[in-house]
Amino acid sequence: MNLSQNRLAVEFRLSLVLLAAIALLPLLVTNPYWLGVLIVSMYFALLAASWNLLAGYTGQFSMAPACFAMIGGYATGLLSYHWQVGPWLGIPAAIMTAGAIGLVLGRIVMRLRGPYLALTTLSFAEIMRLVIGNSYEFTRGDLGLNVTGLFEARLAYYYLFLGVLVAAQAGTFLLMRSKAGLYLQAIRDDEVAATSRGVDVVWWKTAAFALSSAASGLAGALYGHFSQLVSPELGLLLQTGLVICMVVIGGMGSLIGPIAGAFLVYLSSEFLRQAGGIQLIVFSLLVILFARFFREGLWGLARRALARRPA
Amino acid sequence: MSCLAVEGLVKSFGGLRAVDNVSFAIDEGELVGLIGPNGSGKTTLLNVVSGYERPDIGRVLLDGEPIHHRKPERIAQAGLLRMFQLTRVFRRMSTLDNLLTAGRALGLAHSRAVARAEELLGELDLERVRDLDAGRLSGGQQKLLEFGCCFMVPPRIALLDEPFAAVHPTMKEIMAASIRARHAEGQTFFIVSHDMPVIVELCTRTICMNAGVVIADEETRAVLSDPIVIEAYLGGEAA
Repeated sequence: MNLSQNRLAVEFRLSLVLLAAIALLPLLVTNPYWLGVLIVSMYFALLAASWNLLAGYTGQFSMAPACFAMIGGYATGLLSYHWQVGPWLGIPAAIMTAGAIGLVLGRIVMRLRGPYLALTTLSFAEIMRLVIGNSYEFTRGDLGLNVTGLFEARLAYYYLFLGVLVAAQAGTFLLMRSKAGLYLQAIRDDEVAATSRGVDVVWWKTAAFALSSAASGLAGALYGHFSQLVSPELGLLLQTGLVICMVVIGGMGSLIGPIAGAFLVYLSSEFLRQAGGIQLIVFSLLVILFARFFREGLWGLARRALARRPA
Repeated sequence: MSCLAVEGLVKSFGGLRAVDNVSFAIDEGELVGLIGPNGSGKTTLLNVVSGYERPDIGRVLLDGEPIHHRKPERIAQAGLLRMFQLTRVFRRMSTLDNLLTAGRALGLAHSRAVARAEELLGELDLERVRDLDAGRLSGGQQKLLEFGCCFMVPPRIALLDEPFAAVHPTMKEIMAASIRARHAEGQTFFIVSHDMPVIVELCTRTICMNAGVVIADEETRAVLSDPIVIEAYLGGEAA
């Protein structure tokens, strides 16, 4: 057995354990407010997982995950608002729209690296948010769009989000275990070396970009139907900042890190809410600390602690 | 038909002709050395041949097919694999995964790639670091790993840029033995090296460049005793 595949399998199993625990939580948490908080945590976990595929595994530091969630939310929202398209068609359409825009943006930013990629995706995200916010006739601007709900019961949303999250984890696991996983990590570590070994770097980077965008679009569409409202606020840079905090704190480039990070960060932001708007200050400091001293995040720390313990 | 042929290659950077009308051919099964003082254009030549730079004039042919307009990954897929002077490995992937990446990218199925990688790990004495991240290997082990990546699928020709630079003598011997064994089986090599004893020992034929121009291309001992070559290395007055 290959150790790195083993590591991936351990991370996958642990993330399934974590998700199983989350599946049991409604037994304890019956308050609709806290159920809602957990659902939003799962929304962020999906975004974190999709951003991790791009930034953690492929090394492409995009600043647009929240923007693609907004695109997904508006795709299904606009279809339903203008043309009365139902959510079960709207959600697949949202995935495809976000994926297609991701594909185009991916092709454009393909030759950019590091800060240039980050700045270009950041500008794209802000432009998209402003365009949607200002296209009042079509999108109702900052008022946002009312979106039809999917279910009556919060619990149904809860398990829908959970199911999608499990599927996303399984999909990422299978992807990373295949040759695609090798290529993406090779691109992250050294693009020139990857081309010299015969890896089609442009193709795989574009594919990762499109896939990650499509997953973010799905998250946004589901969130829109859950909150029954999509607005440009979905695409705020602040939201992308939260996603980055979650992945960096949880552990970039691992299967379990982003999911665990999403729950930790979002739940603590709920608790910190009472202390007044200091959440982002706390998280930003944590991100700086983690990026400087614990680059593998909490999961990296946990793994090292486990490895040191005598068997 | 030669395995690799370079015809009238010119590559300039600004006013500097880094490669100036270079032509040579390497036949299948040959092991050819490339020497020359620092700045003589060896690495630029290798970069053009492997697709990282476009030639201003001239052609590069692999098995008679022009490849100088192709992208580096296509050239690799066509069977021209290279090592870099400054070692390039995937630092956050295990030694085994480094090899698997190279094998899968050239079309090996998973099980075949694993079997091949295990063989190479044994041959290059890297078994103990099989599951270690490549970034944690010593400089010499990284060189050996990059060398191994070139042979997951036997290439049409292997271009090695200073494979022995700053490598521990034991590992240097492992790599030299591997080159000899593969050469005996008919593998074609093109080796850039400053290490004259190794060039003398390994290469029957050597090309010497100076200031972008090929100044000698013949049997290795003849090249090394050529007054023009000695002058290029030691400067005009010494000759």
